[in-house]
Amino acid sequence: MASDDSEWVVESIAGYLGSPEWVIPVTDFMENKCTVFDDEDENKLTYTEIHQQYKHLVEKLLETYMQEVGINEQQFLDACSSPFAKSKTLQTVFQPILATDDFQMFRALMVQKNMELQLQALRVIKERNGALPECLIDGADVKSELEQQELKILQEVLKRSKEEYDLEMARRLKSEGEIGSTSRSCCDGPVLEEASIPSSASTQQTNTTSKVNSTSLKREDLKAAEARGVGLKGPSPSMLPSELASAEPIVLPAVRVPVKGTESGAVSRDKGSSSSKAGEGWIEEARKEAGICKPFTELSSEQQEQLQQRALYLRQQRDKLQAMKKEQKPKPATPEEPPAPTPSTPSKEDGPRMNGSGASRVKEDRVNASQPVSSPVGGQEKPKEISVEEKKKLQKRKHLAEKLKEEVIKK
Amino acid sequence: MGEVQKGFFSVLQKLKGTTEQELRIVLLGLDNAGKTTLLKQLSSEDVNTITPTQGFNIKSLTSHGIKMNVWDIGGQRKIRPFWKKYLEKTDLLIYVIDSADKKRFEETGLELSQLIDEENLNGVPVLIFANKQDLATASPASEIAEGLNLHTYRDRAWQIQACSAVSGEGVQDGMNWISNNIVNKKKDD
Repeated sequence: MASDDSEWVVESIAGYLGSPEWVIPVTDFMENKCTVFDDEDENKLTYTEIHQQYKHLVEKLLETYMQEVGINEQQFLDACSSPFAKSKTLQTVFQPILATDDFQMFRALMVQKNMELQLQALRVIKERNGALPECLIDGADVKSELEQQELKILQEVLKRSKEEYDLEMARRLKSEGEIGSTSRSCCDGPVLEEASIPSSASTQQTNTTSKVNSTSLKREDLKAAEARGVGLKGPSPSMLPSELASAEPIVLPAVRVPVKGTESGAVSRDKGSSSSKAGEGWIEEARKEAGICKPFTELSSEQQEQLQQRALYLRQQRDKLQAMKKEQKPKPATPEEPPAPTPSTPSKEDGPRMNGSGASRVKEDRVNASQPVSSPVGGQEKPKEISVEEKKKLQKRKHLAEKLKEEVIKK
Repeated sequence: MGEVQKGFFSVLQKLKGTTEQELRIVLLGLDNAGKTTLLKQLSSEDVNTITPTQGFNIKSLTSHGIKMNVWDIGGQRKIRPFWKKYLEKTDLLIYVIDSADKKRFEETGLELSQLIDEENLNGVPVLIFANKQDLATASPASEIAEGLNLHTYRDRAWQIQACSAVSGEGVQDGMNWISNNIVNKKKDD
């Protein structure tokens, strides 16, 4: 074959690759199938299947085209091996074809397409609502800035928490008074740091509250780390409580993954048990249960009713927790709360979000919201609650955040 | 026309401008055998964060100047049926065995013999890693070779190599075998 013949063939194919006959079906395919492609290290088995389908599609399209134009196989081969076909510009044009034979290239194309679609979606959201939901923006920025730092801190935290846990255990053994020992020991540091916690007012339950908050914060970090596959071998779910219980004296920047948080908060709240929101409400309630009369007196009858329901639920929760605690620890559990005179508490209405320390509440909300499971009592948590499913969910969400972040950076 | 397309796609390699040799290696074995750990060890990545593989991993390595695309496919029972989808155009099979998991020697032997019978793996050399030799309870490679009846393999090159994917011991020896036996042989073809 003459070389200009090759050039003609190559150009014609390149032209075809830019024509609607090619672009529409291929783009359609990619847009339809790209959603499962994430940029995680591990490939899903479905990728292979989709790759196969893609191969068939491209084969069919090219076959038809070659027949139509009258290019035979030999011409095509010659054209492809000609130096002209190897020029940089054509290499890019030919990429969709090359991807049929190169899984990794195909995967890269699909991941990119998926990101493009998500970016588009973000733009649409922005156009419609005027602005992006806070969680989306936050998720991208905060994570990109803090990620590295976060990991370092985490590892440090885990190390220190282990030490402190050991220390605390030793201390506890010595201390004769079981009650309050947990909370007392934890108030050296965390209360000060957790300035956002509304209940810093000196009540004995404050300790519990702050502890819960900082604990949950840590827990969330842990999850994030786990999701990221960081080499934190230590804490298996059953170890979490002990690890975390002593973790709080370390200062932590409020690291949060809002995308994850908002959703998980909502989901678990529906379930009603041991959810983050419920847990957080519970914390508030716990204070009230303990008979702390806050200066909030405005209560509608409706609110009172709510409160009573809440209190009932909380009591059940606490009972559960205490039962678990007993299982967990060989030694007698520390009775954190005095028997609660809940139903009669006239202090304030249920929704911790509405009354009381409004501004600070928001912060606490954030912290807690990012925590998928909680309801810790004085440093004790339900360990079993981090189900595999939830972990997966978290990973998914984390992943999304990651991707969004990447997009934001790239653009 | 199908034939035409095969020729067509083989030409794509030329289009990519890669003339250097590339080996396609498939890494198989039961779950928890250490396939992914081995893969990470080969690509000098951290081997402490590995979780059970649900899908598959691909790494491109260069060993002895040869580019190798290693496909590590999950070994859990429910994924094993998918193995055969990855065997096409394979230059080498690496099969990993947990040498300390005596209870599953029979199972792993069965899986291997099924693979050997796969059409796509006809004549494809097999490198068996008797992994986890760092464990005290590990069986020696010779014993495993006997259990697997490797000596009955006539139609292909095979090798069993004791190793510890965690420590990396023995892994390089296996790679050396690949470059000495597979690469040279492939050039001759």
